[in-house]
Amino acid sequence: MSRTVTIDPVTRIEGHARITLELGDAGEVRDARFHLTQFRGFEKFCEGRPYREMPALTARTCGICPVSHILASNKACDHLLSVTIPPTAEKLRRVMNLAQLTQSHALSFFHLSSPDLLLGWDADPANRNVFGVMRQDPSLARDGIRLRQIGQTIIEMLGGKKIHPTWVVPGGVSEPLDTVKRDAILALLPEGLEIAKRTYAFYKTLVPRFVDEARHFGTRPTLFLSLVSPSGHLEHYDGVLRLKDANGRIVEDGVPAIDYARLIGEAAEDWSYMKFPYYKPLGYPGGIYRVGPLARLNNADTCGTPYADVALAEFRMLQERGPVASSFHYHYARLVEIIYAIEMMERLLKEPDILDARVRARARSNRDEGIGVAEAPRGTLMHHYRIDDNGLITWVNLIIATGHNNLAMNQSIRQVADAYVDGNRLQEGMLNRVEAVIRCYDPCLSCASHAFGEMPLEVELRDASGRVLDRLRRP
Amino acid sequence: MGAMERPATVARDSPATHGAASGARTLVIGYGSPIRGDDAIGPLAAEALAAGSLPWGSRVLARHVLTAELAEDLAAADRVVFLDACVDGEPGEVRVRELAADASAVSTMAHFHDPRELLAWCETLYGRAPRAWLVSVAGRSFDYASYRLSPPVAAAVAAMLGEARRLIEGPPPP
Repeated sequence: MSRTVTIDPVTRIEGHARITLELGDAGEVRDARFHLTQFRGFEKFCEGRPYREMPALTARTCGICPVSHILASNKACDHLLSVTIPPTAEKLRRVMNLAQLTQSHALSFFHLSSPDLLLGWDADPANRNVFGVMRQDPSLARDGIRLRQIGQTIIEMLGGKKIHPTWVVPGGVSEPLDTVKRDAILALLPEGLEIAKRTYAFYKTLVPRFVDEARHFGTRPTLFLSLVSPSGHLEHYDGVLRLKDANGRIVEDGVPAIDYARLIGEAAEDWSYMKFPYYKPLGYPGGIYRVGPLARLNNADTCGTPYADVALAEFRMLQERGPVASSFHYHYARLVEIIYAIEMMERLLKEPDILDARVRARARSNRDEGIGVAEAPRGTLMHHYRIDDNGLITWVNLIIATGHNNLAMNQSIRQVADAYVDGNRLQEGMLNRVEAVIRCYDPCLSCASHAFGEMPLEVELRDASGRVLDRLRRP
Repeated sequence: MGAMERPATVARDSPATHGAASGARTLVIGYGSPIRGDDAIGPLAAEALAAGSLPWGSRVLARHVLTAELAEDLAAADRVVFLDACVDGEPGEVRVRELAADASAVSTMAHFHDPRELLAWCETLYGRAPRAWLVSVAGRSFDYASYRLSPPVAAAVAAMLGEARRLIEGPPPP
């Protein structure tokens, strides 16, 4: 007799979603699905708007990573203008992107995932939250707050606002950086780097506790997609697309981001509002790949900054050979990237031309199709627009990081469910591991609504006739 | 009074500081969405407050939402005044209440917080929380893509500012 377990909502992620597990007669998992239950329709309601509005419009896709949308959208607009933005403007955009990455990764690690990592999946749900972390390790929690504050402050200094800044514009940025702001930002970075290194060192001591989770949290083979610099370094703003397979073989390299559609197809399923991107040559659903910190570190030859390169070498030792396969190690990769981001911001801000006043190229639209690709904290973000002769949007395609990871998240849930779910008896710790594998990806499902750990959660186990066999309720 | 007209591009996240930021002991935070009608009264009032004269050492912030990193700012203050809209009450009604730290006042959202939760963060992480008050105005309309305060709420801005000034100009909290 088949049965279904529903986990609704999935907590401590950005957005609303649910998980269903279909169980067979013996309680074994037959299928596992991650459902995005909200419909938003951004691509459709942008049609008819002037292309210059797109950065502001698409930034409203998300209150967590608006900077990422602003950058990808402005890059698409740069493409429509057919301009190469001034070098200083590119560096300033890079700094803002890295500040965004720092604060976003800090939120993910310290506030959303640390309750699981520090207190354990089997801890009382009443304590397994950010207050539990504060009680157990207040200095870690303070570090998280401070690191996020540093990232947000840099965004605010550059853009004038923490959320939805309008400083990045088609063709560059609207204002150059002045000495006072540059020095103020530089003054924040040493403390940020110390926090990042301290947290990384602490997390390395935790990793051996999670051998079992690392073995089951998404280790099944996938490709890895990310931008890399033309010379193969870690890259978050520009560069070329690289795809590596589970054995570490590079299957695509040096692909200009504007050719993304040659690599990526998008499928749809009737049980989720999220699209299912796939690598075209392998077809759907075989062309499964992952993006984000894990993919970026697996794809990059080096980070290119001193401390981050040491951490990258240690990251690669998590596995004997090949790319690091376990999605559990997204957490580790995030900490490496925070170190990198802070080191790289310092390097960029010390460039001799960083205060140059030439920060914007001006032009009208010079083509009818524009593509902008950047690495958001959660992975590769693609904006693709078409416009008419009046500069009005006629078609939009957005592929967000969480979408790229959709197939992989479903596969990971299935793997964790196979390992931990006993369909005949539901246990909080068991089901929380199913949720926790999703948190590894730090999915950002929408900006309209964001579920958190204390949200009521009810899980029911029913038989095919709808009879409730077991129930767990989180108050 | 008619509806308050305001542009969509006001920089509501810019901090306005009177006195040295590092020495600020009174913190005012007005928060709310600038594109959802009456929800904008908090940041609008904060900006109006910052434009006037304030006691030395006061610091005023306008924010969309209360975020985790504000805990450190709260912990550094002796008193905090939150300015916000609320959904209950007669539209335009101004209320003042003192807030206590409350760890159970957890937001259902991952990226913003209830002021009482942030005060509890302060107590837990920094060993102290400031005295805090919430000055709220009951809203009438919270429609999306609305850039106007409704007439009763626009009329309440002056009263909200009066209550905020009374709190921040009073004697320091014990």
